[in-house]
Amino acid sequence: MAALGARRLLRPSRRWFSETVPGAPSPPTSPLYPPVVASITAKSKAAKSRRLQRFNQRVHAAATVEEKLRLYGKLQRPKYTVYPQTFALNADRWYRSFTKTVLVPGMPPGAAAAKAPVAASGATSDASRAPEPAAEALGAADAPGVTKTPGAAKTPEPAAGAAPYLDIGELRSIACDALLQESFYQNKKRPFLYRDQDHTPGPFLTQLVSTLAASLSGRNPLLAASSLDLNPEVNYYWHHGEEVIVHGHRKGRVDPVRFQIDDNPHLQIRVPKQLSEVVPLESDLGDVPVIDHKPSKLPLFKKQYENKVFIGSKVADPCCYGHTQFHLLPHKLKRERFIRERLEDQIEVVYRSNGIASLFAWTAAQAMYQGFWSEADVTRPFVSQAVVTDGKYFAFFCYQLNTLALSAETIKSNPRKNICWATDSKALYDVVEDGNVKGFNDEVLLQLVRFLLNRPKEL
Amino acid sequence: VFPGVRQAQWLTKTKLVEGLPPAVLGIVDNPAHGLQELEERVKHAVSHARLWDTAEVAPRREQYCPVLFENLIHICRLMSGKYPSLSKRMLARNCRIAATWERESILLQVRGLSGILMNSMTSIPPVASKEEILATKEHVLETFYPIAPTIDLQEVNVYKELNDTGQCFRDGYPYSHPHTLFFLESANVRTNRFRPEQLRAKMLMFAFGNALAKAKALHGNDPKVLEQPVVVQSIGTDGQVFQFMVFQLNTTDLVSNDGVKNLVWIDSDQNLYERAQCVPEVKKRVVTKPAGISGFQPDTFKKFLALYLHGTV
Repeated sequence: MAALGARRLLRPSRRWFSETVPGAPSPPTSPLYPPVVASITAKSKAAKSRRLQRFNQRVHAAATVEEKLRLYGKLQRPKYTVYPQTFALNADRWYRSFTKTVLVPGMPPGAAAAKAPVAASGATSDASRAPEPAAEALGAADAPGVTKTPGAAKTPEPAAGAAPYLDIGELRSIACDALLQESFYQNKKRPFLYRDQDHTPGPFLTQLVSTLAASLSGRNPLLAASSLDLNPEVNYYWHHGEEVIVHGHRKGRVDPVRFQIDDNPHLQIRVPKQLSEVVPLESDLGDVPVIDHKPSKLPLFKKQYENKVFIGSKVADPCCYGHTQFHLLPHKLKRERFIRERLEDQIEVVYRSNGIASLFAWTAAQAMYQGFWSEADVTRPFVSQAVVTDGKYFAFFCYQLNTLALSAETIKSNPRKNICWATDSKALYDVVEDGNVKGFNDEVLLQLVRFLLNRPKEL
Repeated sequence: VFPGVRQAQWLTKTKLVEGLPPAVLGIVDNPAHGLQELEERVKHAVSHARLWDTAEVAPRREQYCPVLFENLIHICRLMSGKYPSLSKRMLARNCRIAATWERESILLQVRGLSGILMNSMTSIPPVASKEEILATKEHVLETFYPIAPTIDLQEVNVYKELNDTGQCFRDGYPYSHPHTLFFLESANVRTNRFRPEQLRAKMLMFAFGNALAKAKALHGNDPKVLEQPVVVQSIGTDGQVFQFMVFQLNTTDLVSNDGVKNLVWIDSDQNLYERAQCVPEVKKRVVTKPAGISGFQPDTFKKFLALYLHGTV
């Protein structure tokens, strides 16, 4: 190197040159020695953090989303399988702490205001269907968002938007027809043992959602471009918190706690455009419960198998955002069983834990499909909806994913929380007798319709 | 073993016409229905069913055949935004059909799970004109002498003659007219699936059974020529190849071999796409078959949609 050679010549005190040399040869622009960093292979904490950084860089630098997902879930270790439909007591508190979710009771107010006005069902056909003053009831419910003239049955349309009336009578007849067909008109054999849900509520839900979505697709262009999946698979894998390994050849090491959700909703609607956010990204609407015990006390058990992240179809599908999921509670978790065991308060817990866990898995997997992960947090919130039912009682959930950074290093400096709006379960009807549906509840149907009509603000 | 449709024709006293009836073809060709824009969506539906639906590399036929059917039906149902009367349809799965009739002193019966049935509140108007129906009187049914026409049929002692689709649905069911039957051959193993010829024969027999049961419910049990013929459609597929059929029941007088015959229009072996490649096939470091759907034919879906819309437009 010429510079070194020159310096060696200059070092003896004899100055060969009287004129000022332009300093020592200007310090070379690049460092002469490689940077001093921790080793990669040593058994030390610094080496471990260097390995972790190299892994993070590899994932950041992955060319495609599939490659990123592959690297993210490459290392297989024992992990807790989180079941959205669980009989564990107070499971929704635990799930909220695993997913850093805040529970807000009631539906977000934006959802009610964005709906088209509803015409009163002046000429209901069947006498058994409960007549109701639809306009008045809705006028009261929608007071915050929409200015309406209450009381008038056939109100002229408000100036905002030229959306025609939503005929509640027709939608009610669709729902009742689906219910009657599955439970009364079609001759079926007796239900298989413990498979009551496949006999009537399952087909009823499929029929109801598919016919409602089809008839509402004229109003909601997002539905017209949607994709309906029957019995899809939704998986998500994440780290949250740290623990010390208690036994085995890795005993004593500090390891992240790994979780995996494998969910099978009954039905889901995927759309090509994302639903718009409900509240801004950094909003704080409550507290996340803190639980001091290990997750295995819930009870939750560890298994080691493939780390899957899946929204229902592969990354190449253009319908990569979620709209609504529909879950059917199994026979094992029916209400009568909880009442018999005097655990009435756990009935709502079942619905809530299902809603929170399934929606977290779905929205987080959608975010991962867009390239975000725990080291690269989401830049926009991901919103999805879900309906959890056991055939008669319906509970509605809306979830906004604000953060994916739940692992031990990233959660320290992360003030964001995920938000879940939840309602209590309400019955859609009282009983089906002799070809009539008694006690049909229009509010539940309206909430379902509102969910299906939900769309991003640009559309 | 036998060309199944010919045997089914004799058993149901039917005359075969190749291709779909002009009423249906009219819906296919009508540009007002916007069938061109749907092409993109149908391609997505096929790709979803064949390529993207599973977390594994490639879905099996038992999975992709029903998923493809559901996707296509979803696209068809979304048309009810344009045609509100389409919402007067209801899909019924796993319904059992039973119908009996006599054919030259042989008592025949059709029974079993007839796949997925779509019912509608209104019936399909007759597809063939009165002249065509009367012209079938001259048509002579093909016999297979010396082979008895009941070859390969199971002989069973029937103690109760069950006779209606009313067995499938109770009285007062609002969607009382059977509209279309769908058959999905989704078994993974090829020998468990019906070959196309036998699938067409099965479609014919079940369509006939449904139509006969409906006719007997409407007009009573006496054999006679119907003034209002009953039309039932049928679509069968194995996930790639589609068979379309429109059956019109003109007469319930099936004992004799002459007189007015029933009519069936069959459009067989319509490919929706040539090949669906999940991973690109590479031979000697050169990609011979790229990944994706190749050889997509939109006409097959247009016929599917036309059969779906038939009766309401």
